[in-house]
Amino acid sequence: MRVQYIQGPVWAKTGEQLRKSVVYGKNPLTGKAVAEEIVDKLTRPLAPEDTKTGQIERDMGPPAYTGTAAELQQLFLEKRYTDFMPVILPTKELVDEMLKATSHDPDEQLGRMNPGSGAGETWTYTVKTAAINAVMAGAKPEYFPVILALGSSGQTAVNVSDNGFAAGAVINGDIRDEIGLNYEEGAVGPYAHANTAIGRAWNLLSINGGNCGKVGTTYMGTVGNAQNALALIMAENEEKSPFQPLSVRRGFRKGENVVTLFTGWGLLSAKNWKANVWQTVMDYPKIAKDIYEQQSPDLFGTLLVLSPPIANFIADDGYDTMDKFTEYVTGASAQPKPKGKAGGFGMGGGNFHVVVTGGSNNNYWMAGGMVPTRSINIDEWR
Amino acid sequence: MKRYVFAAAMTAICLGLFCGFPPWNDQAQAASAEKFTVLNPMGTPPPIELKPMAPRLDAIEGKTIYIVNDGYPGSNILCAEMQKGFSEQFPDTTFVYKDKRGGMGGRDQALWDEMAEKADAMIIPLGH
Repeated sequence: MRVQYIQGPVWAKTGEQLRKSVVYGKNPLTGKAVAEEIVDKLTRPLAPEDTKTGQIERDMGPPAYTGTAAELQQLFLEKRYTDFMPVILPTKELVDEMLKATSHDPDEQLGRMNPGSGAGETWTYTVKTAAINAVMAGAKPEYFPVILALGSSGQTAVNVSDNGFAAGAVINGDIRDEIGLNYEEGAVGPYAHANTAIGRAWNLLSINGGNCGKVGTTYMGTVGNAQNALALIMAENEEKSPFQPLSVRRGFRKGENVVTLFTGWGLLSAKNWKANVWQTVMDYPKIAKDIYEQQSPDLFGTLLVLSPPIANFIADDGYDTMDKFTEYVTGASAQPKPKGKAGGFGMGGGNFHVVVTGGSNNNYWMAGGMVPTRSINIDEWR
Repeated sequence: MKRYVFAAAMTAICLGLFCGFPPWNDQAQAASAEKFTVLNPMGTPPPIELKPMAPRLDAIEGKTIYIVNDGYPGSNILCAEMQKGFSEQFPDTTFVYKDKRGGMGGRDQALWDEMAEKADAMIIPLGH
């Protein structure tokens, strides 16, 4: 297929603008008239390579590389195996140690991933690929079942979207304490080893297993998204939340180890919206409703990340179940609670979700447009 | 004596901390000339299927060229302007505007059948 490049974007331009920039415009790369180039592509005789058939197998390099630590770090950087930061070099010994944390065969296909929204090629990767990337991220073997659960979803942590989507995951169950996930002060921040290493492992698996995050081809964010630097890994503060855990609301039993994946715009302080979060007397349910009504309901809807004090203010105001709170905020009953794939594009209005995490040192919280895509049992990946 | 005990204790603590994360330390402390063998972290892409291009036109004069809108916002405006503007620039060619059903990814078999019968070539904007 011959492709003609034109000056974008097309969306939101008037007919007159498009007429000038495209129909009578020039290719910004070649400086030649678009119309003339299109005619050339329609009439220029085919070259022998244009008529070839068959398959081209891809060379992904050797299964292993040997060199000094400095040479290998440079090689991984040049081959874009990294997030541009140094990695733990994945020696066979470290990868074997990681693989001991699962009963799954190293050669088992773990998932299929494309850069998002069905765009681009869909790559496949194995349990061993995930282990290599988990080592590179600095993950400990006890984190590996969570990383495998994330990888099994096929959801990228680094979406191609020119709108700059972020990715996140919420972890429920006893595994939170087992592997040292932080769900107290700073829970959404990067300064906890388990949260950070799992997020980085998901990022690296997306980069290497799913060919994501390559600027100009598989990472097309017009201005990008800072939250792509590290996938957001949150553990819910179930003990201090007045609500049922997210996983229970999505059909799992309490205590079951579950990861729920999210995608969307990302999170910002609730103060980002017009809500006044610094008054003496606060109406948090109303603020939540105001934020919900400012979000686009038909794409990612609204995700609230409430600190325990805010969640308890809301419960004390009479919204002591998520059904009551959702009904108040959205004007409709709570969304279905599917275990499998759900949500996202085309889900329609009423997308409203709540996670409770963090400390209790002040009345702050976060919100954003993020939607759960699926929930996965982590123990199936042990 | 207390000073030696303190120093010994600090040394033991430091050694303990240093040995706590073997992957970092092994590589960080490695002699610069020491070589490691590490594994390739890449997944597997699908093979590239080569498909021959459709035969080219000898010229566009006297031909019918469909311009197909795949439904992405703004594509309808672009395609309509292309139909008008190209007709002005190439008056001996017939440009036909069509909306494709099924969105960006769907196949509109009726339109494909129509083009197979009536069109000599087609232009479709992709992306956004």
